[in-house]
Amino acid sequence: MVLDFNTLYSPFDRFDKLFEEFLRPGMAGQRSMAYPPLNLSQDDQNIYVRAEIPGVDMGGIDLTLTDKTLVLKGERKAEEGKYYRQERPAGVFHRVINLNIPVRRDKVNATMKDGLLTVTLPKAEEVKPRTISIDVK
Amino acid sequence: MSEVMKKEEKSLPTFRPVTDILEREDGFYIYMDLPGVAKDDLVIDLQEDDLAVSGKTSYPSPENERYSEMQFGNGEYHRSVSLSDIVDREKIRANLKNGVLELFLPRVEKTQPKRIEITSG
Repeated sequence: MVLDFNTLYSPFDRFDKLFEEFLRPGMAGQRSMAYPPLNLSQDDQNIYVRAEIPGVDMGGIDLTLTDKTLVLKGERKAEEGKYYRQERPAGVFHRVINLNIPVRRDKVNATMKDGLLTVTLPKAEEVKPRTISIDVK
Repeated sequence: MSEVMKKEEKSLPTFRPVTDILEREDGFYIYMDLPGVAKDDLVIDLQEDDLAVSGKTSYPSPENERYSEMQFGNGEYHRSVSLSDIVDREKIRANLKNGVLELFLPRVEKTQPKRIEITSG
């Protein structure tokens, strides 16, 4: 028996595939991953945590800010009735987001619009970039 | 495979929204998850037996934001559902709330079974 490495074993293709899978945004639902899908970003002033949680209003989401983490908890409830098809996820979700930057705890703001949760965490003053003016004499 | 993916990257990716279809006493209910779709960006077309839902997300992407994790992004949603004859097309209702579209499809009022008289002679 001859082992055909070209067709059966192609490490480069596999690797390529893995990368393409990861780099394509918006694949929530099609790819198995923790729920809800999160986007984490920051600019000079704030850290932004965004999550797609359709069907849950602000009251149904529990946000806890600990020293180094933001904990996102909630539940998606299933509708009552006789199901013919059920694809939408239901149940309790829980995600922990590590914040490695100190934030101003009293200024954290969360909004919910069209199923998109946005949490804005202002960075603490000491980590904000600062321009130092140099006097030239 | 790679070529197909590259084509997709040029335009927005298309998703099939996850959907629940269920029946209650007053009719059928369809729920679709359409996070990020505003009411004005959602189109529902009914053509004969085909109910087509399509929508587009419009997440802003400020240039000065640096992403460290990205698990969702902008895209287009498309899904169509075939309706059976027992749905009353005139009374379909749609409501979009918190990124979930609820479609209510009432049953046609039951037509009374009609006895056919047989005459002889």
